[in-house]
Amino acid sequence: MEQENLTDTQKPERSRPRWGRILAWAGLAALLFLLLLGLINAQKGQMKVGEKAPAFTLTTFDGRVINSEDLRGKVVVLNIWASWCKPCEQEAADLEAAWRYYEPDGSVVFLGVAWTDTDKKSFEYLDKFQITYPNGPDLGTKIYHAFRATGVPETYIIDRNGILTHVKISPFRSVEEIRQVVDAAMER
Amino acid sequence: MIADLGLGALAITLVVSIYGTVAAIYGGLKSKAEWIESARLAMLLTFPLISISALSLIYLLVNGHYEFEFVTRVTSNSMPTYLKVTALWGAQAGSLVFWSWLMSAFASAVTLRKWDRDREFLPWVIVVSLVTLMFFVSLILFFENPFARIWRMPDGQFIAALFQPAGGVLASLRDGQGLNPFLRHPGMTLHPPTLYLGFVAFVIPYAFAIAALITGRTDDRWIRITRRWTLIAWLFLSLGLIIGGRWAYDVLGWGGYWGWDPVEISAFMPWLTGTAFLHSVMIQEKRGLLKHWNMVLIILTYSLVIFGTFLTRSGVLSSVHAFAASAIGPLFFGFIVLTFVGSLYLLLRRWDDLKSEGTMTSLLSREALFLLNNLLFMGILVVCFWGVIFPLVSELVTNQKVTVGPPFYERATAPLFAGLLLLMGIAPLSAWRHSTAKTLGRAIWKPTILAALVGIGAPLALGIRSWAALLGFFLVALVAFVTLYEFWRGMMARRRTQGEALPVALANMIARNRRRYGGYIIHLGVVLMAIGIIGMEMFQKETQGTVPAGGSISFEGYKITYQSLSSFDTPDGRNVTRAVVNVEKNGKNVGELYPRRDFFFESQQPVTIPGVRSTWEDDLYIILVDWLPISSQGATFKVFVNPLVNWLWLGGFVFILGTLVAAWPDNEPELATARKRRRAAAPAEA
Repeated sequence: MEQENLTDTQKPERSRPRWGRILAWAGLAALLFLLLLGLINAQKGQMKVGEKAPAFTLTTFDGRVINSEDLRGKVVVLNIWASWCKPCEQEAADLEAAWRYYEPDGSVVFLGVAWTDTDKKSFEYLDKFQITYPNGPDLGTKIYHAFRATGVPETYIIDRNGILTHVKISPFRSVEEIRQVVDAAMER
Repeated sequence: MIADLGLGALAITLVVSIYGTVAAIYGGLKSKAEWIESARLAMLLTFPLISISALSLIYLLVNGHYEFEFVTRVTSNSMPTYLKVTALWGAQAGSLVFWSWLMSAFASAVTLRKWDRDREFLPWVIVVSLVTLMFFVSLILFFENPFARIWRMPDGQFIAALFQPAGGVLASLRDGQGLNPFLRHPGMTLHPPTLYLGFVAFVIPYAFAIAALITGRTDDRWIRITRRWTLIAWLFLSLGLIIGGRWAYDVLGWGGYWGWDPVEISAFMPWLTGTAFLHSVMIQEKRGLLKHWNMVLIILTYSLVIFGTFLTRSGVLSSVHAFAASAIGPLFFGFIVLTFVGSLYLLLRRWDDLKSEGTMTSLLSREALFLLNNLLFMGILVVCFWGVIFPLVSELVTNQKVTVGPPFYERATAPLFAGLLLLMGIAPLSAWRHSTAKTLGRAIWKPTILAALVGIGAPLALGIRSWAALLGFFLVALVAFVTLYEFWRGMMARRRTQGEALPVALANMIARNRRRYGGYIIHLGVVLMAIGIIGMEMFQKETQGTVPAGGSISFEGYKITYQSLSSFDTPDGRNVTRAVVNVEKNGKNVGELYPRRDFFFESQQPVTIPGVRSTWEDDLYIILVDWLPISSQGATFKVFVNPLVNWLWLGGFVFILGTLVAAWPDNEPELATARKRRRAAAPAEA
């Protein structure tokens, strides 16, 4: 009898924090869902050669808007860099030299994308290496994520049909190395 | 042969763990002592088994068995033996083995304790420990196996596989790539193991908490058993964080010690909840309050350990701690779901049994201030947690992965840290149960005035005008005075009552209440660290300049003269470019510094080693950024002046010392009386 009374008095108390329980489970479910999404994205890994390059829009530092669709028919060298990135400096001069080699031909476009950088520092960097090909900030890190980049520097070579032909993670070692991969993309 | 032994031992560990788990669950549910005992022996067996595995891996590393992919990746012929041993945790596969090894050591140690009074916990502690171990061993066996060999395929490709693929021939490599140069530093040989020890040791209190929830024995017994384990876990976690900071300062060459990187924060979050837990368990022990809260905190701490490891090792978040994205993600996710859902289910099932035995009586009582301290720690945790998952949230909502940087964390946490300092100054003066504004005010006005004089007056006199820095120094001085006053009061009391000389009184006082005074020593350590942090965060200065040989940079009272540059190869596979700079301070010559850049041939990676002149006032920290081919043309240096940073490291030492004092084993009460009796009997026998 006493036992029953006890459970009776406990009942209303037990049902009171139900919303708290629901909230706790909902919070946990939301967190796990978020982690799962993050995991699925991470599992996709890096872009693979032969995949169609993602569409992107780059607004250059001098205000020009470059659309990936408009670059069809040309080979694109897309270099993602940052002024704070030491390894980027190793390849900066080589990239510029390679650009000057291809520029007169007109069938290759070099694009620089400054990732998580401030404009002021970016300008200093561009001045330091006297870079003349178009460069622009990666607004909202959209381009970086479209290419599923993993760091800087990374360079993506896209052929005339918009297919990714080469992914270079880490800096190029020489102008020759750049020319080799660009020539290969031009021959396709 | 050795490798097969290691691999075999690991496979048997998995089988033994599965058996032990099943036996413990069966024994626990049916109350069959022999099954529980069998599970306990299984638990104990895992340690020698994983030891065989880990030692054989170390054997392969030390003896340069480059047919193994892992060995090739982390060692090379030119590395000294000690680095070949520490290469065990130089990459994911090996560090998982190391992790399991430590995990098994801790879990085995805990099963060796006397269980007389706590029999009912035993099976569930074993279950939690073995399931965790099982998970890590499966990761090693099925996803990141360090015993995978490299095979050359007929088409000339090299692939790594455990067993010989069709047509594959074992590749015989003569040398490996060598350990990542950033990891070849004394700090790096210690940073991962201490951090792992901290992570792994938190499994023990968590296992006891879960056991308490399962058995329904929700008194504070589980807390009393695991208090020391928690302190040890916390000790190693703190040590790991401090050593990591020192390593970053010495090796990374960005003039700092903490970068609010996701991996750092992942290690910091369990530290926050662990610290909160160590404070709030005292309230449960003294007053029987906050039982829910303690359970939540310890579950949270362990969950954050697993959560952080998952985030950083599965490639979900990118970070400067470049762990290669690997295949362990999905299995790890499964383990997280199991841990989180299981813990929450058990917690909610027992929620109503975890009622407090009393109520808070005063908002200024020590328990209330401890609770406030907990809330501040939780506040910092929320900031950190939000910052870490923000990229995931923003990707979900706006399809852009926006990462928040140090300014976000600094701005959001600074007031919370200041609040913690303030509490650290007030709480030791408040009493349990009832403190009023009057009693507290009477205790605190003297230290406050003293702190204002020293903490505000002295910096003002030195020309510091930043109100944030003045507030910081004031709080630091307040904590220091209150803590030292507590020591002084205790010593004087003993002198009065026991007639002891002051040094003897100090030693006896600490020995009699190690937890309290250990805690105060930790607080003093925090004070010293805070001085260093205020110095670095508010007064760090930097400049960069290119100077010809013989030219100099004048900066903050220093004159740095570039003298020469030399470049040479070393026998251990580096090309070293080393500058010699002469340093004058306020017109007085104080010596030479040698900032340098080491280029490691094997890994094609440069490492910048700063030249540092370290004093209690400040560190002069010079980085060789760049140089022109002919050294007479000039070199570029980045110069940092880091005020007070040495206090941070000193504070770290004091902090660890305090934790050791608090964690030092007490005599078991029964044993102590037995010993006393024996001692009393001894003279009679003689």
